[in-house]
Amino acid sequence: MAEFDEINRKITIKLVYYGPAMSGKTTNVMQLHDMLAPDLKGEIMTLETQNDRTLFFDLLPLGFRTQSGWLIKFKLYTVPGQVVHDATRKAVLSRADGVVFVADSQRSQGINNSESFQNLEDNARRVGLDFDVLPLVVQFNKRDLPHILSETEIQDRWSAAPWPLVFASALVGTGVKESFIKLLEAVYPALNKAFSLQETHQIGMSAFIRAVVGEPDGNPG
Amino acid sequence: MEIPVRGYDSELSLRDLLSGISEDRLGAVMSVLLDSKFRVVAENGDLIAGETIAFNEASNRISLSYDLESVGYLETISTEKIDEAKLRAAVNLLQLLMKSGARYFMASEMHIEVVKSDYEELQRKHAALLESESRYKALAEQLDERVKEQVKMIDSAQRQLYQAEKMASIGQLAAGVAHEINNPIGFIKSNLSAAQSYVKKCRSMADLVKSEGGEKLVNAWKTADLDFVLNDFDALLQESISGSDRVARIVADLKGFSNVDQAEEESVNLNDNIRSVCNVAANQISSQAEIVLELGELPMLRCFPGQLNQVFLNLLLNAAQAMKTRGEIRIKTNFSNGKIGIQIADTGSGIPAEALPRIFDPFFTTRDVGQGTGLGLTVSRDVIMAHGGFLEVASEIGVGTTVTIYLPVVE
Repeated sequence: MAEFDEINRKITIKLVYYGPAMSGKTTNVMQLHDMLAPDLKGEIMTLETQNDRTLFFDLLPLGFRTQSGWLIKFKLYTVPGQVVHDATRKAVLSRADGVVFVADSQRSQGINNSESFQNLEDNARRVGLDFDVLPLVVQFNKRDLPHILSETEIQDRWSAAPWPLVFASALVGTGVKESFIKLLEAVYPALNKAFSLQETHQIGMSAFIRAVVGEPDGNPG
Repeated sequence: MEIPVRGYDSELSLRDLLSGISEDRLGAVMSVLLDSKFRVVAENGDLIAGETIAFNEASNRISLSYDLESVGYLETISTEKIDEAKLRAAVNLLQLLMKSGARYFMASEMHIEVVKSDYEELQRKHAALLESESRYKALAEQLDERVKEQVKMIDSAQRQLYQAEKMASIGQLAAGVAHEINNPIGFIKSNLSAAQSYVKKCRSMADLVKSEGGEKLVNAWKTADLDFVLNDFDALLQESISGSDRVARIVADLKGFSNVDQAEEESVNLNDNIRSVCNVAANQISSQAEIVLELGELPMLRCFPGQLNQVFLNLLLNAAQAMKTRGEIRIKTNFSNGKIGIQIADTGSGIPAEALPRIFDPFFTTRDVGQGTGLGLTVSRDVIMAHGGFLEVASEIGVGTTVTIYLPVVE
């Protein structure tokens, strides 16, 4: 759950990129760092890499200030995908406000995807998150590679699932921002309910998203 | 010790971020860099490094930011002119240190959290293992018990079978022998009686021959010593009659003994059974021991007499075989506290203490191969237990062994 700091007038929101090893979670976050231009953007902190694999997590801080002077802060984390790091994944997932599940579109990765998704569901339960209401976006990454599942196949398989599906190529940069925005859309209602973003801070959903993404705030929403 | 976990994602203060860095050394580096008095203070006013006393006018006050927010300030005295580039360098250095501190803090907190969670997982697995281990242990114990039970059952079945077969064959043998002897002994006895009456008739002739007979006849009578012959003949016949009576009694006992395979219960006076068994065994025993009976008053007992006879016979033969030199077997019976007690005491060699606990084990024997089956006492105990009673054995090397049977009398 997001942290609400009345004294420092700050709300901290935790978003997690989850998925199997090598599916492109870190790449997603790195692309976001390059693409987004919010009010406030921190550096990516990587903890720790071992042969370019995430050992603990990556962290990208983003944020903006409301007109009422509140700091809305986002912390984007990635989990280590390798099976052995389950305890770390569980720790990173705890207190998450939303999750982007990054799946690997390659045909050979079907089992890894489903095991990782199952692991997300299990770990969500273990850290006390209600998986039924947890804001979640499913991203099928690596669309630029050969031997991938077609969009129709994926849509057929996920037709019964309630979560938005996004096709992406994190390496190229497509679908990355879209996934993030979809997640923000899913996260906003819960935040608005908890912190009255609209009423108290006069931030509607579109203004909220524009502020995080860093697009000019032409028509406050 | 419980390690407190703050959470790798908790908010960090300037003090947290610079926690690994010695204040003195940081101060020394900063003074060289800035060439001026300075203070590093946290957002809440805590002094981290530099001058202890706050500057009156802190005109140079640069925010130190971490993670989008300001967490503290670098202050220098306004009166001292400080190169802007130097100031920026100092701030950058501090921020680099802070970032490195943050990395260290997060990594270590995450490490603690992961280790703790792994440890808990291990504990859970350990507990599950312990539980399954104890379950298997219980199963193994149960299995062991069941195997023992089965072995016991097989043992007892085997013994019963053995006993039944032995009894049946002994019964058949005894019945056959008794039947075969019964007939000849009958006519021998009746012939002997007839012979006795013939001797009487002859004797009645004696006086007549001696008084009325001629000299020749009387002389011949005397030469043949027929007076002695007639007396001795009578005595011989009398002895033979009592001998055949004895044989007849043995036959009767054998017949009684041959009833071993009868399944029905009977009410008997065990004293009678003991006497009968002693008679049967007398031949085998008489050379080794003298049997002394001290039979007390006993109530009638409902039992399987054939089986109990077998027990008495086993114990008697055991006692006789224990004799190194000719000795005595004393059989006492009594009745007290609702129990019949039968004590068979011998003056034999006794049982060694180390063998005593094993004497009831099936097939345990101290005799030479072919001499004993090792089942006598086992079967005996089974029979006594089947009658609701129990056995006691006391033995002393060189003094003898006493076996006491207790049998409850049920009204």
